[in-house]
Amino acid sequence: MKWLEKYKPTIPRLEKESDYPESAISIAETLLNKTGTWRIFRPIYENKTPPCNNECPANEQIQKYLDLIKQNKFKEAYETIIQDNPFPSITGRVCYHPCEQVCNRKDYDEPLAIHCCERFLGDFGLKTKLFSRPQEKRKEKVAIVGSGPAGMSAAYYLGLAGFQITIYEAQPKLGGLLRYGIPSYRLPKDILDAELKKLSALQIKFKTNCKIGKDITLTQLRQEYDFVVIATGCTKSRPLDIPNEKGKGVYSGLEFLSQINSKKRPKLGKRVAIIGGGNTAIDAARVSLRLGYKPIILYRRTRAEMPAIADEINAAEVEGIPIEFLVAPVKVIRTKKGTVKGIELIKMKLGEPDASGRRRPVPIPNSNFVKKIDAILSAIGEEVDLSILPQDLKTTGWSISADNFGRTNIPNIFAIGDCVTGPKTVVEAIGAGKRVAQSIIAQVKGIELSATTNKKEIVTFSQLNPTYFEHKPRVSMPQIALTQRKRSFKEVNTGYNKTMVQEEAERCFSCGVCNKCDNCFVFCPDLSVIKNEDYEFDYDYCKGCGVCARECPRYAITMIEESKVETE
Amino acid sequence: MRKVITGNHAVSYGAFLSRVQVIAAYPITPQTQVVELLSEFCASGKLNAKFIKVESEHSAMSACIAASATGARAFTATSAHGLALMHEMLHWAAGARLPVVLANINRAMGPGWSVWTDQNDSLSQRDVGCIQLYCESNQEVLDTTIQAFKIAETVHLPVMVVLDAFVLSHTSEAVDIPDQELVDKFLPPFELKTKLDLETKKSYGGLTNPDHYYEIRYKIQKAHERALQVIKDVDDEFSKTFGRKYGVVEAYRCEDAKVILVTSGTITGTARVVIDKMREEGRKVGLLKQKLFRPTPLEELRTILYKAQKIAVIDRNISFGHSGVFAQEIKSALYGLAGAPPVFDYIIGIGGRDVTPDDIREIIEHTIKTEAPAEPIIWRGVRL
Repeated sequence: MKWLEKYKPTIPRLEKESDYPESAISIAETLLNKTGTWRIFRPIYENKTPPCNNECPANEQIQKYLDLIKQNKFKEAYETIIQDNPFPSITGRVCYHPCEQVCNRKDYDEPLAIHCCERFLGDFGLKTKLFSRPQEKRKEKVAIVGSGPAGMSAAYYLGLAGFQITIYEAQPKLGGLLRYGIPSYRLPKDILDAELKKLSALQIKFKTNCKIGKDITLTQLRQEYDFVVIATGCTKSRPLDIPNEKGKGVYSGLEFLSQINSKKRPKLGKRVAIIGGGNTAIDAARVSLRLGYKPIILYRRTRAEMPAIADEINAAEVEGIPIEFLVAPVKVIRTKKGTVKGIELIKMKLGEPDASGRRRPVPIPNSNFVKKIDAILSAIGEEVDLSILPQDLKTTGWSISADNFGRTNIPNIFAIGDCVTGPKTVVEAIGAGKRVAQSIIAQVKGIELSATTNKKEIVTFSQLNPTYFEHKPRVSMPQIALTQRKRSFKEVNTGYNKTMVQEEAERCFSCGVCNKCDNCFVFCPDLSVIKNEDYEFDYDYCKGCGVCARECPRYAITMIEESKVETE
Repeated sequence: MRKVITGNHAVSYGAFLSRVQVIAAYPITPQTQVVELLSEFCASGKLNAKFIKVESEHSAMSACIAASATGARAFTATSAHGLALMHEMLHWAAGARLPVVLANINRAMGPGWSVWTDQNDSLSQRDVGCIQLYCESNQEVLDTTIQAFKIAETVHLPVMVVLDAFVLSHTSEAVDIPDQELVDKFLPPFELKTKLDLETKKSYGGLTNPDHYYEIRYKIQKAHERALQVIKDVDDEFSKTFGRKYGVVEAYRCEDAKVILVTSGTITGTARVVIDKMREEGRKVGLLKQKLFRPTPLEELRTILYKAQKIAVIDRNISFGHSGVFAQEIKSALYGLAGAPPVFDYIIGIGGRDVTPDDIREIIEHTIKTEAPAEPIIWRGVRL
């Protein structure tokens, strides 16, 4: 063979003692032996999907921006996050962070505090005023109805693509649920206002105090605009449906929050019962506390079934708000004058799982009792207001029928967010906004929209090699003192600084994604990992021992059978 | 500078002053303090060395071998079971002719589990090709460690510095710590001629067929034979710089001695007191301290011991099925010399049992009054 010639050794004479080396050393160069021929398995560099990225409803590239934070590249990290979520300062504060629930680090010590890092990046973008400008100018006009997270997100991505956009908002100010639903101790109004400036920078027009069905109809919008995106959310509170509900002293939790957020101060009695276990219930309770009332949360299931964000439930408890589980309201008790003086409750127990997978609460007969209270805030769920919709728009009976990309039965009408899904989360609305933008852009450019993205393998903890990670608790989010919280609407969480965000990002395993840790390069016993910009295997000599794949802390190397390698 | 330090720390200072570049070690009582102090030196930046934490002594020696093969000055320390686990790699270090230095703290082998001293651990490594030096005091430990690097790097063989568990390892003595400048002069940076590197692209220690293997082994023996002189020269040079000299063996008051006691390790120190006392009484007794075990200082042993009428060997070890190891060495050294004195083999102090001046005196008295040993082994202090 020709290549052998190059390495052909000169055999030395071995006669005298001095001819011999001290120890056994090969005569020829080791390159002579192309050990790659021994291989039956071959390592390949193959990045996979980290569970956080996969779980994020907005498909944020979490691993990537955490890696950029580690490298001190905050601007690049910010630019990465806003590719998928334009409002990280909002989600960094209010998202329920499903990413953290699947973070592989949870099986090691504690999951990454991704939301704290996200918030840092968002605030970094706001502070440094990194606002995007339209990439081109288009003539198509889009009307977006509703300025909540779904509408804001759709407006941002369509604005970036150069569409002529007008947002219609029924309330006097923009933000929808973000402004009128979420209390300012969780999401300060100045943060929301700052995020909204990103829309102004994209030359988006706003029409506030303009209620669909009253000030303008969807039919009119269809005539005026090329596309209409409905993002009206769930604005109707579900009633309790119990005797004596109607009248003074019984309010909807959402309405109560909206009033507070409009700087009104509705008068309740001293003791306030909040019915429900979702985020509205927790928010209403914590707001009541701040207004000087004595709130108590009444929930018909147990803590495990509460749909509210766990951190928020904890915060309510830390602030001293009692939660009574397994009780359901039966009747509001009023004085002769009609003032609320109590609520009759019935004790519940958990039965078989229902459609949501949670165990169904079943009343215990004759377990009724009365609790003395002065006001009731009901927060048992919100519904879509279907009355404003045109007749020909298909609904499910309780919400608008639309696909994952917001497409309805009418070609140029799209619907996204809670008005399609029922009450969901801010981040899901933001994801839906991004997808509807992709859908409209694809339509005007005549591109086929593939509903299924090519998903890569999602990395599990057992596929990692945690030997290379030190145990380290998550960097805790700094908070204002408990005494300060009870009487003010000051933001509770005060945010990471640069040192903290880098310390936390350092904890990221970078599941499935090579971050050039050099382990493969260091461990390869055959010097068959070649290190340039990226790593490459030298298959002439790689024996396929798999040490690289075994020692890769993050499963970025896959071993494949040699017989299955496609030959060029 | 004089400092009161333990035998373990004397090893650490020895390695530190020798500017070791790679330390790979696994903790084991009674060795741990040796590498603990070295790790502190590394952590504080006092010592510019790579400290490799490993999962076993086998790996510790493997890491030292690899480091040494690239031309780094490598060091490890261990004891008993740790040394036993290193066994394969000790063969390798010698076979690859790598100047790794290790300190072994003599500790009895289990079971029964013991942390106390005897010599079976190091003597079990007799045939691996490693030079072995036994120390009597903390000062000797420090000085021998420095010398060990020079010896190893001259003859390309691994060197083991041996000291007794607790009696030296954990006992403090005043030790003179030499100036770094002088040590640097005595022990310049080490250069390996053929070393493992990416440029030469050679494979080391690969398959060697019967045509060549034998010759390479022959060269290891030749290296050991040469080492004997090198060790003496290094000791001489050391004494010129630092004023302390140990020799490969030491004859203590052996002039006109009728009975010579042979010891190694810390028992030597105790024996000196007994010999002095008996000399005061006018008894003609002497002491031979055997510091160098491998290579065997054959000439020295013969010259000193041949003149005596009887030889008493103290063995804090036993080669099961035979006898004490040092006694075998002495007998083999005297073999074939016409009129060689009889050798009495006393087994004592196994598993760290105390060896007192009275014990040693009894041994000498017993040798004096006994014509010739009735048994190959004379057990001292066995409670049976």
